[in-house]
Amino acid sequence: MKKYFRTLILLCAGLGLSYQSLAQTPTDGLMMPKGDICFLLNFEYGQFDHYWEGETLRKNGTIAKVQRRTAMVMAAYGITKRLDVYAGLPYVSTNSTTPNGGKFAGTSGIQDLALGLKYEALRKKGEKGELTVFGSVLFSTPVSNYLSDYQPYSLGIGAPQLAWRALVEYEWNSGVYLRGQAGYIWKGYTEAEREYYYNDGSYFTSWMDVPSAWTYEAVVGKWFMNKSFRAELSYNSSRSTSGDDIRAYNAPQPTNKVDMDRVGVFAQYFFNKPKGLGVVASYSRVIHGRNAPEMTAISAGVTYQFGLFSPKN
Amino acid sequence: MKILRLILLSLVTGILLAACSMDLETELEYQSYEFSGIDENAGTWKPILISSGSQLSIDTPSGVESAEFLAEVENVKSTIASMSGDQRKNVDHWTNNAVLRWNEVALGLIAKYNLIPGPNEDESYTLPSPANPAGPPVFPFAHPPYASRALAYLSVAQYDGLIAAWHYKFQFKRPAPYQVDLDIPHAYVANNLPSYPSEGAVLATVSRKILTAMFPLEADYLKELEEQHLESLILAGENVPSDLEAGKKIGEEIAGIALARAADDGMKYAQSPKAVSDSLRAAAFERFGWQWENLESPVRPVGLTPLFGQVKMWSVPNVEDTRPVVPPALDSDAFKKDVKILQDYADNVTHERRRIANFWQDGLGTYTPPGHWNDIAGEFILKYKLNSIRTARVFAYMNMAIMDGGISCWDAKYYYYYPRPIQLIKDFETIAGTPNFPSYTSGHSVFSAAAAEVLTYVFPQEGTLFQDWAEEAAISRVYGGIHWTFDATVGTTQGRDVAQYTIDVAKMDGADN
Repeated sequence: MKKYFRTLILLCAGLGLSYQSLAQTPTDGLMMPKGDICFLLNFEYGQFDHYWEGETLRKNGTIAKVQRRTAMVMAAYGITKRLDVYAGLPYVSTNSTTPNGGKFAGTSGIQDLALGLKYEALRKKGEKGELTVFGSVLFSTPVSNYLSDYQPYSLGIGAPQLAWRALVEYEWNSGVYLRGQAGYIWKGYTEAEREYYYNDGSYFTSWMDVPSAWTYEAVVGKWFMNKSFRAELSYNSSRSTSGDDIRAYNAPQPTNKVDMDRVGVFAQYFFNKPKGLGVVASYSRVIHGRNAPEMTAISAGVTYQFGLFSPKN
Repeated sequence: MKILRLILLSLVTGILLAACSMDLETELEYQSYEFSGIDENAGTWKPILISSGSQLSIDTPSGVESAEFLAEVENVKSTIASMSGDQRKNVDHWTNNAVLRWNEVALGLIAKYNLIPGPNEDESYTLPSPANPAGPPVFPFAHPPYASRALAYLSVAQYDGLIAAWHYKFQFKRPAPYQVDLDIPHAYVANNLPSYPSEGAVLATVSRKILTAMFPLEADYLKELEEQHLESLILAGENVPSDLEAGKKIGEEIAGIALARAADDGMKYAQSPKAVSDSLRAAAFERFGWQWENLESPVRPVGLTPLFGQVKMWSVPNVEDTRPVVPPALDSDAFKKDVKILQDYADNVTHERRRIANFWQDGLGTYTPPGHWNDIAGEFILKYKLNSIRTARVFAYMNMAIMDGGISCWDAKYYYYYPRPIQLIKDFETIAGTPNFPSYTSGHSVFSAAAAEVLTYVFPQEGTLFQDWAEEAAISRVYGGIHWTFDATVGTTQGRDVAQYTIDVAKMDGADN
């Protein structure tokens, strides 16, 4: 029972829903039992009224406050004891609050389909706790014709992405755990609807190279209430490997070098009855960035897990 | 297991994608080519700024048998022998038609400087000033009128300089080093143009000088480009140093003449003080009962270049001769019909309309609509293998017509002071950025129609295409939500009308004979 419980909770949580380019990532610390499936339905609201133009934090009356809502459905399935598969699909809508000086229309639509695998490379139980190591890979690609070159209202970066991650988690018998993660996200090319753009020089093409990024995360958390509730604090960071700065008082574009550091809190509660049902909630804030919005986001979601081929009682 | 296979396939695809990298073009892709003709008589064509090509004088060159010339040829041979890899790349870059390359340099600078100054902390705005180009804000703000003017002076001075070069080339008929000494490799496709004076040197110097005046902070960058270009002319086997010297002299002189005109064309008064723009606004309100307002936050006190309509035109004697009719009154059926159309487009953004709005948007941070049409012209210049003087001629007349179109358009904008859709339609939102100047007529429409008209004159077989594009550029502004349909349609007619004045000049310059 205990093991089942923990698996369930960890799997459905911490899928790392986040703004735009970071996309949705299977970043939790454990595996699904073989044949189990878990669904997550999550809503996120984010907003910003300041952003970093290069490294300078500024406001801009043209866009006033930008709001961003994301509804996402995600599923995870245990193929084997050590291999999970993931799929996620977000719907995003964006707009500026009124009044604003730009009068730009917001946008809405389905963003990117994400598919991923996670593999348990090591599990080692010691006297004081347990160490686990995972590797994951996540591929995502746009599934609607949204325009990435319409920032800050674009639904996403409009390019295929491939994220490789390594995770290490150590959980003490007391229920306290630490998790560290490092990853590399390759980001491909996005097609604009214009055939010329400036990126520290002329580009006579509609294709834009979206900078790839390194990502890092550190999490500290603790289980409470006989493992039916947990809370965690996180710090994560993303660094583009190339790209240009947003130019003075100009709109961002997909070629920008986007860096950000974010802090967050996350909580999850798991019901005894009905069995398999859980809720998640989070809050995060970008505390430092470059060519990034100073985004604050809250989210809430529901998870439900059950045995697909081998129903459990 | 089907799902698993699908996922694995996606991952493999992803990995393959990660491995490939696209070659994104940062310059027009072309190499040296055989010209469709070399226009031996181009030295007799009528220039724009001077009376004839012979007005600019250069010394008689040393003869091909002279010790002086032969020493120069030997020198060229040894310089080529010690060419570095980077120098080789420069030679390949500049090609035998450098008009396109310098035009491309201008487009890059326009895009670099096409940034609207943002507000200060206290919500005031500071205007860019040529007296303090480093700013902030930096000078210039290369908006469409500024861009049209920079391109016009560049192209006109290049054209006149090349007419002078052609005049002396075919007077002196001094052969190029690769023709004199067969051991000298020629980097370009041979076109048998006489070498004195070097047309490349004319272009390098005139372009550097005009663009430095237009983009003063780029002086060092432009000087470096000029030197690279001049050096590559020797390394290509095209010219000896005295060919370059004569070309540079022509370049300096014609650039000086062009810049003297520019200094006195009225552009320095175009960004008028608030009192002037307020009086134009009041006059329009008095006459018509409407007035455009800037709705930005914070509000910009003055629209963009209210007096650009008074800048000296190239081919039109009096701007008011090209002023369009009064736009629809705000209580007219024509106006109400337009409101419905705009609302319908805003409520139903189709993929096709969005694509067209974005394709022709050429907004802040880009090379502007005049730049877009220069880009288009380049493509057809290459398709028809025009030589460098024909190339300069196309750009000169097209950019004159574009600038005249802009002047005529701005005259209408600040005479009529007509409001934008966001001002008159409640809660209206757009997918393109609403610019800081009145609506009627649409700048994109006028610039594009003027450009298309000149290109149709030069390449009549492609005329339908150019006209279609001009109309698409015009309607793109309506799709973007920032112009009325009559801004676009009347603007298109206005652009064609204005361009006709320049085409009449072009037809008389002797190139069509």
